[in-house]
Amino acid sequence: MRVPYNYLDRQFGSVETEAILDDIRALVRTGEFTIGPPVLEFERRLGSMIGVKHVVGTNTGTDALILALKALDIGRGDEVITQVNTFYATAGAIVAVGARPVFVDVDDQYAIDARKIEAAITARTKAIIPVHWTGLPADMPTIMEVARRHGLYVVEDACAAAGAAYDGKPVGSFGHLAAFSMHPLKPLHVWGDGGAVVTGDDRAARWLRLYRNHGMVNRDEIEIWGINQRLQTLQAVVANRVLDRVRDWVDRRIEIARRIDAGLADTPQVRLPPRPLQRRNAFQLYIIRCEQREELLKYLASEQIEAKVHYPVPLHLQPAARDLGYRRGDFPAAEAQAEDIVTLPGHQFLTDIEVEYMIDHVRRFYRR
Amino acid sequence: MTAIEKVIDHGIYILGPEVQDFEKRFASYCGTRFAVGVADGTSALILALQGLGVGPGDEVITAPNSFAASASSIALLGATPRFVDVRRQDMNMDPALLERAVSARTKAIVPVHLAGLPADMEPILKVAERYRIPVVEDAAQAVGTTYHGKRTGALGQAGCFSLHPLKNLHAIGDAGVIVTDDEHLYTWLLKARNHGLRTRDEVEFWSRNTRLDTLQAAVLIVMLEHLDEWIEERREIAAQFRTGLRDLVGVPEEAPGSFHTYQTFVIVAEHHRNALLDHLQRRGVDAKVHYPVPIHMQPAARGLAHEPDDFPMAHWLADRIISLPIYAEMTSEQRAAVIEGVRSFYKGMGA
Repeated sequence: MRVPYNYLDRQFGSVETEAILDDIRALVRTGEFTIGPPVLEFERRLGSMIGVKHVVGTNTGTDALILALKALDIGRGDEVITQVNTFYATAGAIVAVGARPVFVDVDDQYAIDARKIEAAITARTKAIIPVHWTGLPADMPTIMEVARRHGLYVVEDACAAAGAAYDGKPVGSFGHLAAFSMHPLKPLHVWGDGGAVVTGDDRAARWLRLYRNHGMVNRDEIEIWGINQRLQTLQAVVANRVLDRVRDWVDRRIEIARRIDAGLADTPQVRLPPRPLQRRNAFQLYIIRCEQREELLKYLASEQIEAKVHYPVPLHLQPAARDLGYRRGDFPAAEAQAEDIVTLPGHQFLTDIEVEYMIDHVRRFYRR
Repeated sequence: MTAIEKVIDHGIYILGPEVQDFEKRFASYCGTRFAVGVADGTSALILALQGLGVGPGDEVITAPNSFAASASSIALLGATPRFVDVRRQDMNMDPALLERAVSARTKAIVPVHLAGLPADMEPILKVAERYRIPVVEDAAQAVGTTYHGKRTGALGQAGCFSLHPLKNLHAIGDAGVIVTDDEHLYTWLLKARNHGLRTRDEVEFWSRNTRLDTLQAAVLIVMLEHLDEWIEERREIAAQFRTGLRDLVGVPEEAPGSFHTYQTFVIVAEHHRNALLDHLQRRGVDAKVHYPVPIHMQPAARGLAHEPDDFPMAHWLADRIISLPIYAEMTSEQRAAVIEGVRSFYKGMGA
C-alpha cells in the first residue's frame, strides 16, 4: 500500500473538479479576469466564514503578509517579532518591507512561546506575527494581551490554518490583520497560488484595495505607488467551490489526527504534542517527535509512506539569516524539534485503511 | 481548456512542467538564453531591477507617459524614478535627453516600448554603455516587437513582459515573464520568485513568492503558437487605419528598423481631443486614452514635486492622444466603423 503525502491527484478526482471547470468556462466567456465578480464573491464569503469585515484577495499568502505589514506602515528600522520554526515566507515578508525579523522560541505545541515574547520587545518593535503553525491556533489571548500592554500590532499568520479556531473564535479574527494562503496543499486552496488579507479596520482595507491594484483610485488616477498583487479571478472561481468543503475537510483531518494520536499513544519513542481542548487545530501538518528520526523516515519511505520534515533547519540557521546575528543555541526548543520532528500524511483524502497501515508501521518500526 | 485539464491531471500546480516549457519557448521566441515566468508584469520589473542591485537611494531613469507600474516598480524598491521626456514621433524615451538625466546615483535605465512600438534603443544603449548602467526594457506592451531585427526584451540586460489578458500574448489572468542572457541574473531570479529557496529546506536570501501559475503557463503555451498570426492581423488593421486616417490625425509610423505590434493604436488629435473621444464613444467605438495623466502628475508622484511642463512632450501628448480599439478578431465592418467614426467627427467640424 502507498500512503501519499501529496494528494492532489485525489483532490482533483473529486466531485468538485467538473463543476469548477464549468465555472472556469463561464468565466472565460465573460472575460472578466481582473478582480472579476468571483473575487468579490470570495472576499464576501471568506469574511463571513471568519467573522471579519474586510477580506482582500491577494496573489499569494506571502503577498498577504507583506500587504498586512505595509498597511500598518511597518518598514525600514522597525522590528517584527515572529517564531523561529515557521515557513520562510513569514521572515521573507518582514524583510520584504524593509523591517528586521526578531525570532522567538517555540513551545511543545510548535507554536510561538507566548511567555518569551516580552523579552524580545525593544523600542523598535512594531508588531508581533504569531503563526498558527501546523494549523494550531497560537495562544491568542496571551499574545493579544502582551501586544496591548506594549502598544504593538498583531498580524496573524494564518497561512496554514483556515478553519482553525480558539474557543470557537476563528483564527484571523484576533489580530489587527491576518494573512491566509490558498496553496494547493491546504484545505482552503486554489489551483495555483492565492492568498487573502483580512481585517476589521476600514482604513487598512481601503489602503489594501488600492495598493494591491497599482494604487489606482480609478483607471486614470494613481493615488499611491502600488503593485499588482491581485487574487486571480480564475483562482477565486476555484476557491468559491472549495469554500463549501473546508469545514468537512478540516473535520476529517481532525478525525484522522485523533486516530493517529490514539494509535501511537503507547509508543514511548514517539512524543505527541499536548492537544488543548479550546483550540480547534486544522491539522495542516500532523507532526510528531520521535527517536531515530532518520531511520524512521527511511523505513516509512521503504513502506511507501510519504513522511516529511517541516522543517529540518530553523529560520535563524538559514543562510538568509546570516546578517541577523543569531547562533545555534539561541532557540533550544526549536533546534531540538528540528532534529526529531516528522510530519505524517494526515490529509482529508486518506482512507481509514491507509491511516491504520501508517500507524501500524510506525509502531512496527519501534518494536522491531 | 484541454491544456488546463492536463495540468489538473498531473496536479503540479506550483512551478509545474508547463512553466519551464513556456519559459523555454518564450526565450527562444525572443532570442534570449533564458526566460523566467513570474506572477505579473509589475513583479517582472521589480525583480529584474532588484536583481541588478537597485535599492534605496538609487535613481532609475524611465519615461513619464507609461502605465504607472514603470515608475511604481522603481519607487517600491526605495529608489527614485527620474523621468526623461518622450519624442513626438514614437512617443518613447527621447535618447537626446537621456544623458542629462544620468547622475552618479543612476542604477538602471528602463526604456518603455509604449503601445508596441520599440524605443530607439541604439542611442539609449550607447549612453548606458558609456556610463556602465544596465538597461531593463519595459516591454510590457511589446511582445513580438522588433528593433533592427532583434526582439524587444532581448536588447538590454533584461526585458520585462506583462501577459495580462489584454496583451497580444496573454494569459487568462495575471502573468509576466523576464528574459535575459545574463546567467547570474537568471539563477538569482529563479530563487527570488520562489521565497529565495535554493532547495526545499534551504533559504539563500529572504524573498517573496511571485511565481507564474502553472495553469497560466499552460494557457500561454497555446497562445504563443498564435502570437505571430495575431500580430499580423493587428498590423493589417493598423495599415487600414493609417491609410484611412492619415489626412486627419497623427498616426503611428514605423521608423526604419522598427516593427510595431500595435498593442494599442494611438492617434494624435491636435484639437478637440475630448470632443472626438466623446463622439467615438457615442457611436459605440470604444476608444480610450493611454494615459490621460502622465505619471509625473499622478497624486502618487507628489513627493517628486514635478510641474506638468517638466516633460512638455509627455504633457502635450496626454491631452491629445486617443487609443482606437484594435484586436485580431475585429471584423471588416468594425474596422470601417472605427475609421468612419473619426472621419465623421471631422466632417461635422467642417474639415
